[in-house]
Amino acid sequence: MTFLLAAVIVAITLGITFWASRRNTSASDFYVAGGRISAGQNGIAIAGDYMSAASFLGITGLIALNGYDGFMYSVGWFIAYLTVLFIVAEPLRNLGKYTLADMLVYRLKDQRVRTYAAISTIVVSAFYMIAQVVGAGSLISLLTGGALTPSLAIPLVGVLMIIYVVVGGMLATTWVQIIKAVLLMFATIVMTVLILSRFGWSFSNLLGQVEARNGAEFLGAGVRYKNPIDLISLSLALVLGTAGLPHILVRFYTVPTAQDARKSVVWAMVLIGAFYVMTAFMGNAANVLVGREAIARENAAGNMAAPLLAQALFGGAGTVGGEFGLAFVTAVAFATILAVVAGLTIAASTSFTHDIYKGVIRGGQATEQEEFRVARLATVGVGVVAILLGLAAQTQNVAFLVALAFAIAASSNLPVILFTLFWRKFNATGAIWGIVGGILTCLALIAVSPNIMGIDPPERTTGRKPIQAAPLFPLENPGIVSIPAGFAFAALGTLIGARRREGDDQTFDEMQFRAYTGAGVEGTVAAHD
Amino acid sequence: MTVSRLQSGSPPVRNAAYARLVAERNRFTVIMTITFLVLYFLLPILAGYNKPLMATKVFGNVTFGYVFAFAEFAMGWIMAAIYVVRARTFDRLALEAQR
Repeated sequence: MTFLLAAVIVAITLGITFWASRRNTSASDFYVAGGRISAGQNGIAIAGDYMSAASFLGITGLIALNGYDGFMYSVGWFIAYLTVLFIVAEPLRNLGKYTLADMLVYRLKDQRVRTYAAISTIVVSAFYMIAQVVGAGSLISLLTGGALTPSLAIPLVGVLMIIYVVVGGMLATTWVQIIKAVLLMFATIVMTVLILSRFGWSFSNLLGQVEARNGAEFLGAGVRYKNPIDLISLSLALVLGTAGLPHILVRFYTVPTAQDARKSVVWAMVLIGAFYVMTAFMGNAANVLVGREAIARENAAGNMAAPLLAQALFGGAGTVGGEFGLAFVTAVAFATILAVVAGLTIAASTSFTHDIYKGVIRGGQATEQEEFRVARLATVGVGVVAILLGLAAQTQNVAFLVALAFAIAASSNLPVILFTLFWRKFNATGAIWGIVGGILTCLALIAVSPNIMGIDPPERTTGRKPIQAAPLFPLENPGIVSIPAGFAFAALGTLIGARRREGDDQTFDEMQFRAYTGAGVEGTVAAHD
Repeated sequence: MTVSRLQSGSPPVRNAAYARLVAERNRFTVIMTITFLVLYFLLPILAGYNKPLMATKVFGNVTFGYVFAFAEFAMGWIMAAIYVVRARTFDRLALEAQR
């Protein structure tokens, strides 16, 4: 039944992809759907991009296994949108066209910045993407009772997402995202209503049952995070990283105006907030109705909590209702992963084609047809790389890869975005130092952190730490060190590269005028095309 | 052209509306951002350093931690709503600034 439902969802989304392919005739259509998506549609699509498998499967599982600590992820992921709304959404839409690099180069007038911004986009997307692909592999493998191993499931997901993006471009990717967001919200609302009806419409009753089963500490903080600094570091990366995530940023270019960019974020906040509030019900109910042992038996990280909860809510294992619930929620999770991976793929391939191929290799001289062809080729390339990296990383913990993507985005992209918008003296050297310094600090700290280093007991054979030595850096997430480091590198580079050039002040004034008022956006876009 | 420029020879007009827009917008952004960051980081800080408070029951079995976390969601929606209302002023000033 799972296969049937998943096949129906895949068939519908493929249908949309082919419909979209007929309206997909230029590079602009491919990258940003020609900038014709409405604010409401885009808001749902942003929500879709964000409510990934890590949110739906991961958080439900974290709450089910660890109680309150899991719910803190939900709060951080939601509040992050305030950073996006207040600081980046409108200026980015006013200054950019397809990618983050467009906006930086508009201000800094230096093509080297384009290369580094593109590299940063590709690195962040890659970490995010590997996590999703690996998650998809283990999900499908679990559901088929191991008949489809992750080694087969990962390429399957990869090929489907290549088809969505290559054939349908941004328009299809957006619609796939919308369908998936609606399905996911529907599934979550139905489950929440069923949960509340089971517990006398009272969250207090639900928590009472959780306490009765697991003890009082499950209602408070600290089951999972013993070190407060680790928690604060993770919160920093979540709250500041979202504003630097390429697949979220690229969504601001699919709407016609900055006002629409702002409205999309507000729409997204309504949906994402409602969704994350419901994770508190789902996670706790999974703990009571399915039980920690049963959840951990299916998958030690808790990834199967939501599907197992659906099975229990619709009548339990072995009943028709229960099997339908399990199949439906699993099919939705599968659609979720496909859609998020498609969104990431388009962000990475747009950045490669537009910034590196057209902007740097061809000096901005590529024809429309050539660019469009390269964009499709780049998508296939990005997809193949994602499949290969996913296969290589299939035994790694996926939550750590996602949190790492956030930390890199917060340490490299955010300082550069903020300084570009608000610091008059900021220059190209500062941007390059900020991007490179932020990424390298982050990667170096991760390499010596407990994620990679640690001494495993000899009897443990799978999932051993790659370096068997005591970690040199104590935190799982490097945000608390790497984010200030990213800002410091950007500032230092600016001072080192400071050569007062004629017209710098005027450039900044022009940029600010446009960032604040949106003046000349249509005209410049027309000149671009 | 990959680098877009405003037409040279027509520097952006600086008028009172633009000055007001920049001042009001910056003030708004700074105040709102600091407010939400402080309120948000109270959550992980309390969760890390004051576990008994977080585990205190407020209504029935609902702990302070859950009440605080739900309040963060309310804060997010309220701040977004405030922004939407304020943005009408910003949009009007932006139009005036371009005259």
